[in-house]
Amino acid sequence: MTTRRALLAQLPAAAVAANLALRARHVLAADKSVTVGIDVPLTGSDAENAILIKNGAMIAVDDANASGGVAGYHIDVMVLDDGTTTAGQYDPAQAAINARKFVSDPNVVAAIGPEMSGCGKAMAPILSQGNLATITPSSTNPDITDPKFAPQFRPAGKAIYFRTVTTDAYQGPDMANYFAQTLKVQKIYILDDGGAYGVGMANAFEEQAKRDGLTVLGHDQLDPREADYTTILTKIKAIGPEALYYGGTSLAGIKLVKQSYEVLPQIIKAGGDGVYSAALVKGAGFPAMEGWYATIAAPYIAENPDVAPWIERYRAKFGQGPTSYSFTAYDGMLVILDAIKRVADAGQPVNHDTVRDAIQSANLKTLQGTVSFDENGDIKNRIVSVFQCHQNEKYPVDDVLHQFKYLGVAPEIT
Amino acid sequence: MMNEYTVLLQQVINGLSLGAMYSLLALGFTLVYGILELINFAHFNVFMVASFIGMWALEALGISGQSVILTGLPLVGALVFAFIVTMTLAGVLGVVIERLALRPMRGVRGTAAMITTIGVGYILFNIILLAVGADSKNYPNPMPNVDWDLGGATLRLREVLIWTIAVVLMVGLHLFVTRTRLGKAMRATAQDAEAARMMGIDVDRVIVTAFFLGSALAGAAALIFGLYYNYTSFIIGYSAGLRAFTAAVLGGIGSVAGAMLGGVIIGLIESLGGQLLAVRWTDVIIFSILVLVLVFAPSGLLGRAAPNKS
Repeated sequence: MTTRRALLAQLPAAAVAANLALRARHVLAADKSVTVGIDVPLTGSDAENAILIKNGAMIAVDDANASGGVAGYHIDVMVLDDGTTTAGQYDPAQAAINARKFVSDPNVVAAIGPEMSGCGKAMAPILSQGNLATITPSSTNPDITDPKFAPQFRPAGKAIYFRTVTTDAYQGPDMANYFAQTLKVQKIYILDDGGAYGVGMANAFEEQAKRDGLTVLGHDQLDPREADYTTILTKIKAIGPEALYYGGTSLAGIKLVKQSYEVLPQIIKAGGDGVYSAALVKGAGFPAMEGWYATIAAPYIAENPDVAPWIERYRAKFGQGPTSYSFTAYDGMLVILDAIKRVADAGQPVNHDTVRDAIQSANLKTLQGTVSFDENGDIKNRIVSVFQCHQNEKYPVDDVLHQFKYLGVAPEIT
Repeated sequence: MMNEYTVLLQQVINGLSLGAMYSLLALGFTLVYGILELINFAHFNVFMVASFIGMWALEALGISGQSVILTGLPLVGALVFAFIVTMTLAGVLGVVIERLALRPMRGVRGTAAMITTIGVGYILFNIILLAVGADSKNYPNPMPNVDWDLGGATLRLREVLIWTIAVVLMVGLHLFVTRTRLGKAMRATAQDAEAARMMGIDVDRVIVTAFFLGSALAGAAALIFGLYYNYTSFIIGYSAGLRAFTAAVLGGIGSVAGAMLGGVIIGLIESLGGQLLAVRWTDVIIFSILVLVLVFAPSGLLGRAAPNKS
């Protein structure tokens, strides 16, 4: 790098003056900066999706910084990893440590994350004590924002856990409606992976399935670190359900998809947004993945012409297509940047208190439409989209946007 | 629909496949323990590394995912190649671990050597994590989907192959230990290393052989694991390794026949226990057996009453 002294020696005085003036302005702009945290599991079996999600948020930040920051603030990003090698996937204990890091850094004004509900449960109470808002692009367990559990997840009172996706209180039950009304199955079996997300999702599905008059033949749990599920699948085969529903993420999901293809080739198989996953499709591969149903807790916008240029930009920047929760991560980051801007424009100090309040009152046009939150932090839009996996050989196997075919919106619960 | 008996038959088939894998893996614990009285916790991750070696060997033949299906001689050739490469390299890995990390610990009293094996295990674990990433890999499987119907239960070609390979390897090991000079030397060293040395047995060579054989069998188990589940990842060592270790203890650690028997029993407990109780209880059952055996019958089913060492 050229030092200032070298510049002085080499350049005419006028040029130096201009240069210094430019630098001074730059320095001034850089002086004003705030930090936005990102917490996703970059280690372990969730890493692939986590990177796709993080990249979605990074586009918003890079755009903002390229155009001179937000209301004069340069946006710094603090990316923390909540995956650990001991867990082999997301790790709530690590997520709690990360939440403390965010809260204890006065420059952090808000965060994106976590990806997983298990981490959300660990982070929410800490974020609440620090009054620091986070926007999750993908964690869908309803308990975290349910006022019933406010003493546990929101001890300081205010909503701090916002979502740009809806919750499993809709995702699971809406899919149960889809089973009853569209797939018209009667006898079902339910599995979960023992995680906060998987159990919540499977339970919500089960309750609505019973309300819809389906016969639940059983509900069992898979250990994600176990390799062998043939025992449980053989047991299920003997009971003879028409459909299998799985609440969980890819670590158990890959083995379930592979082994159920062998043991239960005939029946309908479905999961939630844990199945709509690059890591899962890549790890399980075809033909095992073929025919699986999956949902996401957000509207499907990838074929929306307004979104096409964004997808192209994403692909060009990261060399890989986005997943549906890359959109919601981008949307979440837009909400945070908009909140920072509104706070600064109002002449208030930009800190975690003011930014939280601004996020609460957000009403912003994003990729998925207008985002606004209820008093618990849940998004007001409650659309659940249904997909079915069909191999598309023209695209890489982990390009979920192309390996899953959009079927429509699941029937909403009334 | 399956009736009660065909379900049990199916679970026995599942359990025997698990058992074949656990037996091969348990032999590695037992061979090393028999000679060094050392529990080699690096064995878990030698198994894990070997599953990747097997995957790369198959991919080197142009077999990836489930798209390439071979039959007849090409299938046999591909499998023989994969098993030879995996077992040899896994065996070499075991020998390297012994030479670099454990031989310097020889003669150090206490648990230092065992703790070293835990450290080596973690090194392997993290090397694979950093080298190949954390996502689960889609394991190549060139075997055709051939199966037989046994009155409702399904017996698949891959299960028959797995059992055959496991039995051949175990019979081979048994013949090696009982019929060859080196095998005799191994048994002598296991009984009393000091006396064996005085009789002119090259104890170092015996130890290297034990590590090579044990790790090579872990290599075979790893390839079987990959072909059976069509999946591998950097974390597979623990659950399989702990069960195999339990199998070795149940059979009587140090006893070759015991390791084989223990593996099959643990495999059957896993599948039948899951069927008759609930799958989430199988770990409780298996590890309760570990504790009960250690407390009430530390020598296991076929183990020696007490190690013949001073």
